[in-house]
Amino acid sequence: MSNATVSLFPAQSAEVQQEQAVQVEGLRLKYPGEERLMFKDLSFSAARGEKVLLLGPSGCGKSTLLQVLSGMIPRATEVPMKCEAQIVPRSWGYVFQDPDTQFCMPYVDEELAFVLENLSIPRDEMKERMQAALHEVGLNLEELHLPIGHLSQGMKQRLALASALLLEPEVLFLDEPSALLDPEGREQIWDAVKSVSEGRTLIIVEHRIEEMAKYVDRVVLFSPDGVILGDGPPAAVFAKYECELKSYGIWYPGVWEDYAQTRAGRELFAPVDAYGEDLGNLLHEAALPYPLDGEPVIRLEDFKGLRWDKPVISLPSAEVYRAEFIAVVGPNGAGKSSFLLSLMGLLRAQGTYVLCGEEVVQGKARKVRKKREQQLRQIGFVFQNPELQFLTERIGDEVVYSLLVDNMPAEEAKAQADRCLERFGLSGMENRHPYQLSTGQKRRLSVATAMARQPEVLLLDEPTFGQDARNTFAILEMCERLRRTGTAILMVTHEMEIAQRVATHIWEIREGQLTSSMASPRLCTGAESRQEDDGLNRAGESYDPSSASAAHLTGVNS
Amino acid sequence: MNIWNPVRITWLHRANPVVKLGLIFALFFMTVLTHDLDFMMYQALVFMVCLVVLSGVKPWKMLLFFIPFLLAFISSSSSMMLFGKGETLWWEWGLFRVSEESFYRGLHLGFKGIAFASEGLLLVTTTSSVDLFYSLMQKLRLAPKYAYSFMASIRLLPMVWEEFVIRRQALKVRGVRPIRGVRNMVNRAGMYVVPLLAQSIRRAHRVAAAMEAKQFNGDQVKARTYYYPSRYSRYDLLVIGLLAAAACCAYVAAGYFPWFGIGDVRFD
Repeated sequence: MSNATVSLFPAQSAEVQQEQAVQVEGLRLKYPGEERLMFKDLSFSAARGEKVLLLGPSGCGKSTLLQVLSGMIPRATEVPMKCEAQIVPRSWGYVFQDPDTQFCMPYVDEELAFVLENLSIPRDEMKERMQAALHEVGLNLEELHLPIGHLSQGMKQRLALASALLLEPEVLFLDEPSALLDPEGREQIWDAVKSVSEGRTLIIVEHRIEEMAKYVDRVVLFSPDGVILGDGPPAAVFAKYECELKSYGIWYPGVWEDYAQTRAGRELFAPVDAYGEDLGNLLHEAALPYPLDGEPVIRLEDFKGLRWDKPVISLPSAEVYRAEFIAVVGPNGAGKSSFLLSLMGLLRAQGTYVLCGEEVVQGKARKVRKKREQQLRQIGFVFQNPELQFLTERIGDEVVYSLLVDNMPAEEAKAQADRCLERFGLSGMENRHPYQLSTGQKRRLSVATAMARQPEVLLLDEPTFGQDARNTFAILEMCERLRRTGTAILMVTHEMEIAQRVATHIWEIREGQLTSSMASPRLCTGAESRQEDDGLNRAGESYDPSSASAAHLTGVNS
Repeated sequence: MNIWNPVRITWLHRANPVVKLGLIFALFFMTVLTHDLDFMMYQALVFMVCLVVLSGVKPWKMLLFFIPFLLAFISSSSSMMLFGKGETLWWEWGLFRVSEESFYRGLHLGFKGIAFASEGLLLVTTTSSVDLFYSLMQKLRLAPKYAYSFMASIRLLPMVWEEFVIRRQALKVRGVRPIRGVRNMVNRAGMYVVPLLAQSIRRAHRVAAAMEAKQFNGDQVKARTYYYPSRYSRYDLLVIGLLAAAACCAYVAAGYFPWFGIGDVRFD
């Protein structure tokens, strides 16, 4: 029954003569403490066997709707709601976003057994069912009694899917199951989903739809205030609501190409040539004030980062110059984050490490440590989880704090912080607590605190991880702006598009070794396309990347 | 790399956790009610030997566990010795006042601490939390909601530690100065507690939702099946016999070879 409800108006879908697997009519729901209703008279249904993708901007209530459809609201999470009619599926499975918080037991077999125990399955049948479910999602483990912590994130999500399958679900609810996975894990989980979806109803919420867009029967697009905008087959919805998809930050197929066509995209991806002349920057009056053939900002020789006295990352020799944007790529656990931590002095290091022409002293003595900390103040660092690096209770104070640490006079710091917040689209909320921001805003604030000090080097640990397209582009634009003022940037990322389109160099780390470092396509095309691009830029409008007006290009101010 | 992982499986590992729990409580009770110094010393000695033999943990690792014991022994016994009441004065200097009675009472307290710790570790080193809760659910009808919430929270502990490490690094990166003064210390504690607590609460909520989504019903006791069966076996009898014999040994030894021979250490 794959013929979908082809209707652009949700009210009609109920009239279609098909057996509904899930349905809710006239749903009204409001979170306590919120001013407006999350849903006002929303109706949604899906036929048996239908594969539905729910799309919309962050915070529009897609995940909430999923919980309502499954009956988790109000059974497990008490949220005031009412509806005229509802069909809750007899059996359903649920896969959540975060691979680390879906399990309550330490081992794979125990976790799967937990589900079977809940269903009162006799003990003798358990092993067999577990193996069948794991096989279905493509997890062929030799030994079932394996600590869940030893699995990769992608495997954990497939384990979550396997445990959902043990419930023999008629309907599978997937709440952004691939948002926190690297590209490889993403591919695996979607392959697994596709292989188990036969004969089941799938309701999927997802921001990254490259893998799924072609597979679903029907796409439902929500507006920011929880109203269904469009409902129909994927091709029709994507064609009709292209603008909305872009502004909601959805990772639809071709999002990078589309972004490259915009003014901000042209700036961001503008080829760079190895002579240090930024072609995209020709119109920018504050042209690069430095010669690229000068001293490297970071020079490493025989450098090792140590964890528990064991080297976790070693680089025989490497150099980073000003205004370079280096994407550090490689598989999980290869030592990418350890590399950044050892550059930042948070892991013990060995070997030669020259920062801005001065050798960073190594050693444990108090004086040496103080000196090293002083030297490393020239580096800015952005952690993966922004919440863990906030210090104050006001957004306004966050940036000021960074500046005060560098002994800037209070008034000057205040003024500069205000400018910085404005540039990052955070002005007007200085008095709020950092935790009250949305995830994208938190991330921007954490980048702002590191950038405000104008560090010589900025290290970022997967800053775009789990972010929607709009936030990702916003962060990249900020990095690019900083790069153009001469800051060297090292960014750990899994996103090859970033490495190839935005970075100037790509370093690959495998098994604790720097296995390759090369110029990115962006740098390579620099010299060749010089002429062509010159013309293109002259034709374009003048663009000042440091001005606040540029921020609206990716909707940063919204 | 779990330090608790045993290298040998002993009888104690094979015994039913509920039996072990009951047994350890009985031993605790005995230790609490012991007021005879010699009996106490022999208890500490005997259960320490039991721990080394029955835990299955490598002896050098066991020595690591004894370091905190030793500290507890020294601190509790020395404070009792220096400040305790007593009539037969041995030595006095300012506030410190060592009398015969306080000295022996201090020793008694120290031995008691060691006996307690050894008995507790006998259970802890030989029982995994999962085994214990499965037995409690099956044998003592503990509601699954308590058992599984404990097991889930144990799984979350390492994540909290990881975040603590990241928070420490982040504070360093942001340029937070080292602690000076008590007021700063309180302030700093807040800097750790607030974000870690916020993360933990959110995480706990998510785990709870995931458990509900897996059709978990916390009050279902009767129809629930169990992956790990909990049975009584002959090892239970063996362990009961063994530990009872150990306690008897200590008692008899105290009767035949009293080191101190002063009997009840209580102050009358």
